[in-house]
Amino acid sequence: MSIKNGVINSLSTKIVTSIGVVSVLITLVIFSVSEKITKDAFSGVELEKADLIARTIEPLIAINIYLDMPENIAQLAQQLMENRYILSVKVLDDKNKIVNEVESGEYQKDIEDSFVVEKILNQPNSAKQIGKLVLVYSNKRYVELVDKYTNMTILLLLALAVLFILYGLYIKKMLAPLGQIAKLLKHYSPDKEVDIPFLSQNNEIGLISNALNSMQQKILQYSKKQKNINHYLEEKVNEKTLELREQLYIDTLTELPNRFSLLNDIFKSREGALLVINIDDFKEINDFFGHVAGDNILKKFSNRLKSMFKNNEHIRLKRLSGDEFALLFMQKPPLEDFIKSAEKLINDVEKMIFIYKKNEISIRITIGGAYQIERALEKADIALKSAKRERKSFLLYDEKLNIEELYKDNMEWVRKLKKAIEQDMIVPYFQPIFDNKSEEIASYECLIRLVESNGNVVSPYLFLTIAKKSRVYSELTRIMIEKSCQHFENIDCDFSVNLSVDDILNDEIVNEIKQKIKKYSVENKIIFEILESEGIENYEEVSLFISEMKKLGCRIAIDDFGSGYSNFEHLLKLDIDYIKIDGTLIKNLDKDANAQVVVETIVDFANRLNILTVAEFVHNEAVLKRVKELKVNRSQGFFLGIPEANTDIHMLRHADSKIILK
Amino acid sequence: MKKTVLLFLVFVNFAYGYSYDDLLLRAQASIFPKILLLDKKIGDKLIDGRVIYTIVYEKNDYDTALEINKFIDANYNGHFNGYTYKINLVEFSDLSSATRASVIYSLNSDRYIEKVADFAKDKGIVAFSYDIKNLKAGLLFSLVLEKSTVLYMNKENLYIQKIDFVDSLLRMVKFIDKENS
Repeated sequence: MSIKNGVINSLSTKIVTSIGVVSVLITLVIFSVSEKITKDAFSGVELEKADLIARTIEPLIAINIYLDMPENIAQLAQQLMENRYILSVKVLDDKNKIVNEVESGEYQKDIEDSFVVEKILNQPNSAKQIGKLVLVYSNKRYVELVDKYTNMTILLLLALAVLFILYGLYIKKMLAPLGQIAKLLKHYSPDKEVDIPFLSQNNEIGLISNALNSMQQKILQYSKKQKNINHYLEEKVNEKTLELREQLYIDTLTELPNRFSLLNDIFKSREGALLVINIDDFKEINDFFGHVAGDNILKKFSNRLKSMFKNNEHIRLKRLSGDEFALLFMQKPPLEDFIKSAEKLINDVEKMIFIYKKNEISIRITIGGAYQIERALEKADIALKSAKRERKSFLLYDEKLNIEELYKDNMEWVRKLKKAIEQDMIVPYFQPIFDNKSEEIASYECLIRLVESNGNVVSPYLFLTIAKKSRVYSELTRIMIEKSCQHFENIDCDFSVNLSVDDILNDEIVNEIKQKIKKYSVENKIIFEILESEGIENYEEVSLFISEMKKLGCRIAIDDFGSGYSNFEHLLKLDIDYIKIDGTLIKNLDKDANAQVVVETIVDFANRLNILTVAEFVHNEAVLKRVKELKVNRSQGFFLGIPEANTDIHMLRHADSKIILK
Repeated sequence: MKKTVLLFLVFVNFAYGYSYDDLLLRAQASIFPKILLLDKKIGDKLIDGRVIYTIVYEKNDYDTALEINKFIDANYNGHFNGYTYKINLVEFSDLSSATRASVIYSLNSDRYIEKVADFAKDKGIVAFSYDIKNLKAGLLFSLVLEKSTVLYMNKENLYIQKIDFVDSLLRMVKFIDKENS
């Protein structure tokens, strides 16, 4: 039995119903056909009878017509009429004149469905037609036969129906065991053995029962095996889960608890403090001795840290990333002890010597500390970065520093810069540089500006440092190169553009600079200003860049010269054209004697190398006067001209001022 | 007395011939030629391509025979349904094996009926009789007017091989034999 929407459809009912429907249809077809055939046969028989009578009597009638014996014909007709099925006899002569006509009392009543037989009467022993016999034969017998046949058919159908009911009951009884088996199996469970009935029956039901029984035994066996396997697998899964969990929280190299473990501990702790330790310049160890050596040192370093803190159960050592470790104080120590611990650690590490393949390697560390457990990792991280930036070996996170706000502010500026790039709000402003002898504009320095949608011009001091720390800086350089070159394409005047060492080290930027120079044909106008303080460390790369640009016809200036640790030896090797003396030396030149000595030395040194000097930050007339006295070649500053969006303004103003000076 | 009456009757017969029912004669004259044609072997009985309808009579019945002759001629006008015929009037005494006949119709006779029967048998032809009684003497057919016209046939002569009537004729006739009438 199948269950669909809660209704049970018995298979036996379906079988019996389908057989019944098919049988009824077949029976109906057979009976319809047989009724037609039978009726035709009955009709044929009756017609044959009438025809036989007519054929029998026809010669006698014919001979009587022939012999002209009408009374004999009448007699014959009367004899025929004795047959109760003959309704009328009509004899006509060769001229269709009625010789004799007899009709029974039922003639009119039954005439419509009667059989009419017509016979041509020929002269005996001749083919000559001498008359016609018309015999009307009643259908009464035919109707009787048909009625009898119909009654028989109905009886037969009734008998068949009874037979089918009995057959259906028999099928139901025969298939009933299947239902019982199904009912038994409905709540079958591999854990519970059931007694399957009808096993001894010697038929298909018995076969099914035996097969199910055999299947049950196999399922039982399989179930037992499966349980054992499941049990085994569960144990294995638990083991592996434990292993993976450990791996999740353990660093595989040092076998120290990792960053997740630290976060987990911080999350669970209510108080405590954290130190984040970073090995300084660990990249250089990796680069110089290789990663195997680096890993070796990290292992050894972690082992030493372990042994250093193994007796203090309140301090947990963690490894955060490649060269970063952490010490989590589960109980908050006094602040002084906490700071002393950090300082002691720095000193101890400085004394450590690691031996790798006969090489003695020493390391230094920087530590950032957080004296609160809330967001301890972020705070210690911020303190660490601040320490790095300030070149300090230890810094404790201080809420007063408002470092988080600074970070937020930086992020806001990065977002602003990206938007400004998208909306083309980055533009160059041009500040004139004057020749101190001719007092003419010698060139312009292209300075970056961010013009906001309300027209407010933002100074680069607010965003350039932040931009240098993000990826947008290279994009700003591209824009400045493109726009500056485009501006001076058709202006016959030199112009200078600032480049950072990062720009020079970026091959894509260098290639683009070359393309733009060629595109706008400004090879002989452009001057690249490179910060002296930035260039020292990457001398070779900067030298290569200068060489390539000089080949193109470009010129090079060292910017902010004198601000850092100026290396004259390097400068001698670099083929530069200008030295821009740092503004800190120029702005007090009229009062500061030391500054005057330094500037004089730089000018002297430059003159010897045929390098032109430029004084920045010329902000008043006294300074300008002093600059000229010290024979600085060119001057630049707010006193002479502020940065403007257009160079034409300077030219006009300069013309006016010259008139006034004169 | 009885002898006297008998002799009177014989005398009358000799003197005046037999008395005949005119209606019956006409009926027979009308029907017998038709019956003749119901013989499937009529063709074998033609003489010179004709049907010789021989009427045998006593001398005194000549007029009757002649009347019959006239009646047939008047009815059939020389042809029995396609066959030309000739009526041959022959006295019983003249009847011999030489007499030509396709069919023979016998009027009454006290002495010659058997002779006619033998003649017919010899010739293998149909023998009609005016009087039904003569059938017992061996003639084949006769006709009587009762409520209706009734044909009688001598059953014993049915198997004459030279005569083969259509079945329907045999079904409508009444058979008689020597024992039954």
